[in-house]
Amino acid sequence: MTIHQVLFIVIALAILGAAIFVVTTSNLFRAALMMILTFFGVAGLFVLLDIGLFAVAQVLIYIGAISILVIFAVMLTRGMQGMVPRNSQAVAAAVVAGIIFFVLLLLFGPLRTTIDVARWPIVSLFARNVSPRDVGGVEWIPPGQPIPAVPETYIADFGRALVDLNQYLLPFLLIAFLVDVVLAGAIFIARQRRPAEVIEDRQRQAEEAAEEAEAMRRAGMTPDVAALPEGAVASTAEH
Amino acid sequence: MQNVLNGIPLWWYLVVSAALFCIGLYGTLARKNAIALLMGVELMLNAANINLLAFWRYLAPASSGGLAFAAFVLVIAAAEAAVGLALIISVYRVTRSIDPEKLDQMKL
Repeated sequence: MTIHQVLFIVIALAILGAAIFVVTTSNLFRAALMMILTFFGVAGLFVLLDIGLFAVAQVLIYIGAISILVIFAVMLTRGMQGMVPRNSQAVAAAVVAGIIFFVLLLLFGPLRTTIDVARWPIVSLFARNVSPRDVGGVEWIPPGQPIPAVPETYIADFGRALVDLNQYLLPFLLIAFLVDVVLAGAIFIARQRRPAEVIEDRQRQAEEAAEEAEAMRRAGMTPDVAALPEGAVASTAEH
Repeated sequence: MQNVLNGIPLWWYLVVSAALFCIGLYGTLARKNAIALLMGVELMLNAANINLLAFWRYLAPASSGGLAFAAFVLVIAAAEAAVGLALIISVYRVTRSIDPEKLDQMKL
């Protein structure tokens, strides 16, 4: 056994153990901490794959941002921690997940050459051609051939591919737009209107309504004075 | 599929990623708390990322496709977490509960 294999097995066991803890514990805060351990393990796998860029991105984005966001949400919804961990469909969910894992294991695991799962009735609809020779014009390295090292300039190549019109410029722009919209949307959804703000709003609307009525009176029309402030107050009260 | 890197065949990564995906799927289907449900989704997205990067490293390290799509998954995961948690917090403020089974009305 090489050192890489030992490392891989240790990391894989840590990932799966922590992930099982995340989905079974009734303490949400501990689940969030174990989720961080899972993310660290995945970063370790990326290191084993010689992709330092993504190991760092994993630590920065998943552990630094998403986990902290989740922990904040756990703390903001206090009183929900000591919950029942499972709903009524838990057994069915476990069976479905188990079946999917079994099929994936047969499709991609060591037995794939002896048992041809891809010909099974339902599986064949999804796995018609599991290992095509080339996908999207990229020639795959055939089995048994040595795998070359990651190119030294892979980060620069990756950056250029993201802004290359013939490669990933359009998805990159779409993703950037999506993040923009999502950040604005998240702020809008989670924004809490403070009572003082609501009262201020109501007063301003009532004043505006009174001014409008005044203007209409000056113009010589019969204003609908009674309805205006009422309606203004009612519409703000619904918030 | 006998592509081996540092003594590790590709299918090891695929099996770990499949297991992580199925654990996340179970978490998404079986939890009684909206935040725990989002955690399950994060686990599934992580499994997808392991798959994308392992296939890239073993089969096509010269191209940038695997990296680009893994980066997109990363961004989508962050966006999903931000909006999901904002929704959960705003729902909690109104109903004082984040049990997805109880959230069955369109208007709060």
